[in-house]
Amino acid sequence: MISNIIKTEWLKLKHYKAFWLLIFVTAISYPGINGIAYYAFKDSIDAKSQSGQLVKMLLGNPFAFPQSFHTTAYLSSFFTFIPAIVVIMLVTNEYMFKTHRQNIIDGWKKNTFIWGKFISVVLVTMIVTIFYLAVASFVGVLATKEMSGVNVFEKAQYIGLFSLQVFCQLSIAFLLGLLIRKAFIAYGIYIFYSFILENILSGFFRLKSKKWGIDYGHYLPFEISDRLIPLPPSIGKFNAADNQLAIAAIKNHVVYTIVLTAFVWLLSFYIFKKRDL
Amino acid sequence: MPVLEINAISKSYGKIKALDAVSFSIPQGSVFGLLGPNGSGKTTLLSIVLDVLQADGGGYKWFGQPPSFLQRKKIGSLLETPNLYHYLTAVQSLRITQSISGRGNEDDIHAVLEKVNLHERKNSRFSTYSLGMKQRLAIAAALLGDPSVLVLDEPTNGLDPVGIAEIRDLIKALSDHGHTVIMASHLLDEVEKVCDHVAILKRGKLIASGTVESVLSAEDCIVLNAADQRFLKECINGYPGLIRLNGTAEGLECYFATGTSAAEQINRFCFEQGLVLSQIVVKKKRLEEKFFELTAE
Repeated sequence: MISNIIKTEWLKLKHYKAFWLLIFVTAISYPGINGIAYYAFKDSIDAKSQSGQLVKMLLGNPFAFPQSFHTTAYLSSFFTFIPAIVVIMLVTNEYMFKTHRQNIIDGWKKNTFIWGKFISVVLVTMIVTIFYLAVASFVGVLATKEMSGVNVFEKAQYIGLFSLQVFCQLSIAFLLGLLIRKAFIAYGIYIFYSFILENILSGFFRLKSKKWGIDYGHYLPFEISDRLIPLPPSIGKFNAADNQLAIAAIKNHVVYTIVLTAFVWLLSFYIFKKRDL
Repeated sequence: MPVLEINAISKSYGKIKALDAVSFSIPQGSVFGLLGPNGSGKTTLLSIVLDVLQADGGGYKWFGQPPSFLQRKKIGSLLETPNLYHYLTAVQSLRITQSISGRGNEDDIHAVLEKVNLHERKNSRFSTYSLGMKQRLAIAAALLGDPSVLVLDEPTNGLDPVGIAEIRDLIKALSDHGHTVIMASHLLDEVEKVCDHVAILKRGKLIASGTVESVLSAEDCIVLNAADQRFLKECINGYPGLIRLNGTAEGLECYFATGTSAAEQINRFCFEQGLVLSQIVVKKKRLEEKFFELTAE
């Protein structure tokens, strides 16, 4: 059954040029953002100026192994909106072409259709994680001057954290596409909410956190998984106490993210089952 | 055993009752026409039996069994519009149909494309097709793997006259090979040519169903003419079994309960009344005429 779903979803994706184009854009955005950050950092520490030496002294080298897994995960996470567009496109296309109806008419259960999309989101997450891993490794090799004595995989947990974060945020994108059904409206809401509204809400809850004794902003849909990858300690040392707290809270956010992701998919199954197609 | 039994299916969209306790069954091997004006509920009914819409009440059985996805795999369906991936070619689209339904194989894909005259364009993307070609591809998808039951919602949409005739021949051929074809259509002439059973819906209510013959022949119609039409009217009014009269340019249309009229008896009856008829025509009612009669406001 699962193999049939994978085969069918692959038949849908294999010849879809827009899908591969966006995957290509993702593929170049990850080395792009990390490369720009790395070379900007390298230029500043290579400078003989006082400020350059100060940066070097304060930050160390966040791109060297094992920190590269954390730093590139943090930087790459800003570009999750590109694979999110891919995921929204995959679900809204089915509505646009009415192929979601045809899939059911041809003999799929409604649950099978959502399982198909679940597998597609897993596939996109895997592709994105591979890009991240390649960039983290490449940047790590470039930035690490002396490999001996370095535990390259000391921060390898960020591979898992990054893929969990991507999967969670792509799942939210999927749910938006399923609910809204119109591609451009879904993209608009995703971008507006994730880049603007949630940051405003996050700031509001941070302001109120002293009064309320809790920062509800940590539990907003994107913030839950954003907090899986806090600022790398070498950069976060400017606010070391908060950074330490954020790193200590990662374990809790793994649980919250898994619960949120499970809820998103259960809701997707429920909506598709109950809705007229 | 009927292929499909529909039992008191109801469906509403807000205050609008799209289907109101519709019940009928579709015999195996029949070519079943589902007729009705726009908005009568034909597509809604087909969508419910294909699990695309959920009924508010009632139920249905395919092959005597409660509904299941396994039954849908065995049914070739075209619902409303061709629903295929615009960026895929005909062959790639049919591979998806094949993968989901399990019907047919790679050779069958090429065979159905030849059957619907699309083989030359098999490697063109769906988005480059004309409306008629899209319709042909959707029919090819329904035919894939030679399913024993086909559900075709407006199968001749967008087709030219040659295409319509081809689909008619195709449906006849399917029927000759024992397939059951369930077809919703506006083209009453086409339905009359290919269907042996019909159901007529009006505003979500079933107003007639059965064999085409039984639906059409609820009344017999005989057109009479005589030199004195007024005397003809007076005279025929006394004939037992007469339901109603209708004066037309062709003559006086006389409607009788089925089986109560015979041209010879009517001729004798009039002659005994002292009237010589100049014309007696037994009129076969056409489906279109019956449809307008049944669905008239």
